[in-house]
Amino acid sequence: MMASSRLGISTALRGLRPSARGQWRPLDQQFRALRLCNDPKSTRCLSTDAGSFEDFLKTQQDQAIQAAPEINLADIVDFRNIFHARAVPVSPSYFSRQPRFNDSYLALQKLMQSYGKLPVVSTSEVERVAWKSLVEFRQMVGERVKASDYVKCLEIVKRLHRIHPELKPPIFVEAFQAFKRDIQPFTNKPNPIRIDWVGRALGIGRRKSSVARAYVVEGNGEVLINGKTLADAFGRVHDRESAVWALRATDRLDKYNVWALVAGGGTTGQAEALTLAIAKGLMAHEPALKPALRRAGCVTRDMRRVERKKHGRVKARKMPTWVKR
Amino acid sequence: MSASNCLRCCLLRPSASAAAAARLRQGMPLAAAVAASFSTTANHSANAKPKPGTRAAERNAPPSIRQGKLFTIKKKKKNDSGARVKSPLPGERKAFRKRILLSNTNALPVPGLTDLGAESMLDPSNVCKVLSLPDDVIDQLRADEAFKTTQCWSMFRKPSMLIRTETVDLITRMHAAAKNNKTLRLVLTGDRVTGKSLMLLQAMTQAHLNDWLVVNIPDAQELTTACTEYAPILDTEPMQYMQQNYVLKLIQAIKKSNEKLLLKLTTVFSHAGLPQNIPIKSPLMQLANSAKEAEGAWAVFQALWQEMTAQGHGRPPMLLSLDGLTHIMRISDYRTPAFNPIHSHDLALVRLFTDHLSGATSLPNGGAVIAATSRNNAPRNPSMELALAQREAEQLGGGKDVPQPQPYLKGYDERVEAVLRNVQVIKLQGLSKLEARALMEYWAASGVLRITVDEKSVTEKWALGGSGIVGEMERASLLTMRF
Repeated sequence: MMASSRLGISTALRGLRPSARGQWRPLDQQFRALRLCNDPKSTRCLSTDAGSFEDFLKTQQDQAIQAAPEINLADIVDFRNIFHARAVPVSPSYFSRQPRFNDSYLALQKLMQSYGKLPVVSTSEVERVAWKSLVEFRQMVGERVKASDYVKCLEIVKRLHRIHPELKPPIFVEAFQAFKRDIQPFTNKPNPIRIDWVGRALGIGRRKSSVARAYVVEGNGEVLINGKTLADAFGRVHDRESAVWALRATDRLDKYNVWALVAGGGTTGQAEALTLAIAKGLMAHEPALKPALRRAGCVTRDMRRVERKKHGRVKARKMPTWVKR
Repeated sequence: MSASNCLRCCLLRPSASAAAAARLRQGMPLAAAVAASFSTTANHSANAKPKPGTRAAERNAPPSIRQGKLFTIKKKKKNDSGARVKSPLPGERKAFRKRILLSNTNALPVPGLTDLGAESMLDPSNVCKVLSLPDDVIDQLRADEAFKTTQCWSMFRKPSMLIRTETVDLITRMHAAAKNNKTLRLVLTGDRVTGKSLMLLQAMTQAHLNDWLVVNIPDAQELTTACTEYAPILDTEPMQYMQQNYVLKLIQAIKKSNEKLLLKLTTVFSHAGLPQNIPIKSPLMQLANSAKEAEGAWAVFQALWQEMTAQGHGRPPMLLSLDGLTHIMRISDYRTPAFNPIHSHDLALVRLFTDHLSGATSLPNGGAVIAATSRNNAPRNPSMELALAQREAEQLGGGKDVPQPQPYLKGYDERVEAVLRNVQVIKLQGLSKLEARALMEYWAASGVLRITVDEKSVTEKWALGGSGIVGEMERASLLTMRF
């Protein structure tokens, strides 16, 4: 009865006395072994101090554990003729290994059944979306989804995404949200270059640490760079050709005039910056030239920069002379 | 049986083998010892050992046994390959460097290419045409050193020139001046490789075609960089200096270039102090020939000059031309005996030119004094640049646009400003598209430019040449390894 020792408390809680192993103690006795607080206000207070036998008897009579009242099913409307009830999961996928994925997949299949017959737009015209990768999806649902399954899932998503935007039901936005990446790089579109009231298009190009601003306007082939002619600005013929490569590659040197400002870097850096700048200006005038300029290598910004020097090395990569000892 | 001649054979006769051994010791190859049939000296005396007591014997004696083997480091000879390389004679390298090639048979002959005539460059309808130089004029221009090694003459079959609007302008001015017995005083300016020297060449061509006298100073740098000998002309105040060696060379050039005229014209003055006595009415060629050494060259030049510019004796007009004006508009690298620097205008030959350019002296029979500036290898000269910019602005209308001297800049030269106060200026800029097209068509017809000459390609080369600068267009079209 005395449960002052630690061992005694634990055995009391377990309901088994070391001497009386194998025998059941009734539940009410087990609860009584724990002495409850006298203070009626502090209902949370639970003392494990057993106290005297007289107190024990007193509690037995005064504070009997009261069970919850019986549920009268007749009172609950929906359960009038139901006599058995059990807790049922929201979705049957509860019993699968990957419930959340399965639910999503089934939902998508349902959408496909409903809206699969709507007219579809070609892949090149569809709005570009960055979909979640397998790793990201797994991280989101917390389940080890199989790659093949996820691929099938994405196929449906992409197919539904191709539906004509005017006919796309609004429910798709919510449905696809789970499959889209958090950061959509394709929404980061550059501002379109406009042609101003005198017909100039301003293109900006960068290379290494040079920045070029080129105004491209229709004309007869004159080029001025920082107020100087092309030959004055670049001593090397190669640099001159690079600077106007966009116009040369598209055979339009005699159709446009260029007035450019370049700063920073060295000669070749400035020439390459001009390539990009003039290409952008030209694309503003003739957007259809983009594939041709891309093939000519004028569209992509060359992201290479000078690599920093590292500690322990002489330069970015060069190491000091290797010494055997 | 082995013959005594068969030395390679192991079965040698003792006498033959001894002789062979002796020859080997002497270092002679065996075959040579036998086949010495072409030598005029007897074998014996040719291969003779030096006499025992002589120094040669001591030198060539093999080391004695007692000395033992010596460790010798032999000096490596430079050209040990055995190939005998002949080093060039003095002056050969310079001649090779300065050689002018005017014809290249690999280029195609251009059909329809006509020679220049006496009036061709006056005709405005000849603008945007390429005309070739007549052969006799080529020889005269070579003597004048009018062709430069940096120009692309060696790419074409026949030396030809594009007639530009500026050409017609210049030649018309020359012609008008000569007609009125006046002197045209003109400076050709412009950016690098815009064709200033070539325009000077065109002026010289016109002069030769019209039987003018031509005196050309091909590179003014040679006059002021202290690379030729100089000597003070006594009894001149301030001290003037003559450059005899250069003047001697100049006289030879004048002789060669104006040969026909000098043979035709005769002296009208008697000159004292010349190396040879030249009587009156002797041909000017004789006077020029009297300059054989640098010593009397300056006196002969003065006499020749006096004769060439004698008024009223049927003398033709004269063209006095100079390339590289900046070099004579500065303080030269020469020094006085007291080691003070000498101004270029104190050099007598330079003074002659600048007096004519400024108008202090005029050519009595008319003619032209033309100077071309050079941007390559030219020192900056604020006075000259300012003066020429001012003349240019004045020609265009003047007013507010005339540039003024910077108030705090040192280095302005009053003498230079005085010389350039009243000159005319032609500033050369890029070619027009039509001129560029004509030139490119000539290049393509010669087979040197292997692209189709249409509006696109002409504009492309024109743009790459910095809006039509000739030299840059050549660089982008002819001097590339592409096509």
